[in-house]
Amino acid sequence: MNEKNPISPHIQIYNWHISSLVSIVHRITGVINITLITIICFLVMFLMLGPNNYSLINIFFNSIFGKFVIIFITWSFSFQILSEVRHFFWDLGYGFELKTSNLTGVFVIVGSFLTTLLIYFIGRFFI
Amino acid sequence: MINSTKKWLLMKSSGIVLVPLTIWFILNFVSIYDNDYQEVLLFFSSQPYKFLFSIFIIIAFFHSALTISEIFEDYVENETIKNVANKLLYLFAIIIPLLTLVILFNL
Repeated sequence: MNEKNPISPHIQIYNWHISSLVSIVHRITGVINITLITIICFLVMFLMLGPNNYSLINIFFNSIFGKFVIIFITWSFSFQILSEVRHFFWDLGYGFELKTSNLTGVFVIVGSFLTTLLIYFIGRFFI
Repeated sequence: MINSTKKWLLMKSSGIVLVPLTIWFILNFVSIYDNDYQEVLLFFSSQPYKFLFSIFIIIAFFHSALTISEIFEDYVENETIKNVANKLLYLFAIIIPLLTLVILFNL
């Protein structure tokens, strides 16, 4: 006989709020990020095959689509970083009031786009 | 300390350690992604980048395994499927970084 694990109410039954939006995007970007890190690990493995084989990856990263992918990666990591910091403050017992929670949720969403721009700018021009 | 508390503490501490490591990685990756083979190879094979990247992927896979297992806990009703999914997840979180580290230290 299969045992049944009591599951969470499915996300479809909730009304959408800033907090639920940030929470679900936090989970989605978390899964996306580990997929991206896995792809980067394969990229490292690909380096073993030498410069000729790497030229395909180089062409991809120098294309418009490749740059779009990098900006998306930067946003996905930025969102996760800001949301993780928000969770850290919750764990310390701060920011549970509805108004503060909504405000920090908006900060994570808007901040993720600004952080993306900042990281891309610093990465391209200062490192 | 009960196991769930241990898991929560590990999840939270690895998440916080990942914040500066992710910032370091993404800043550097943005700066080298479109470079040629030799420059990308130099980034991944020279210190301290090699050491920091190793720490980054070990903690990232460790943290992901713990957090994704929470998603399984929330949304997979069948215990057998959930347990198999968790085992595959843990296996994946060990094999991929291990294989990457072996190759990284032989570049």
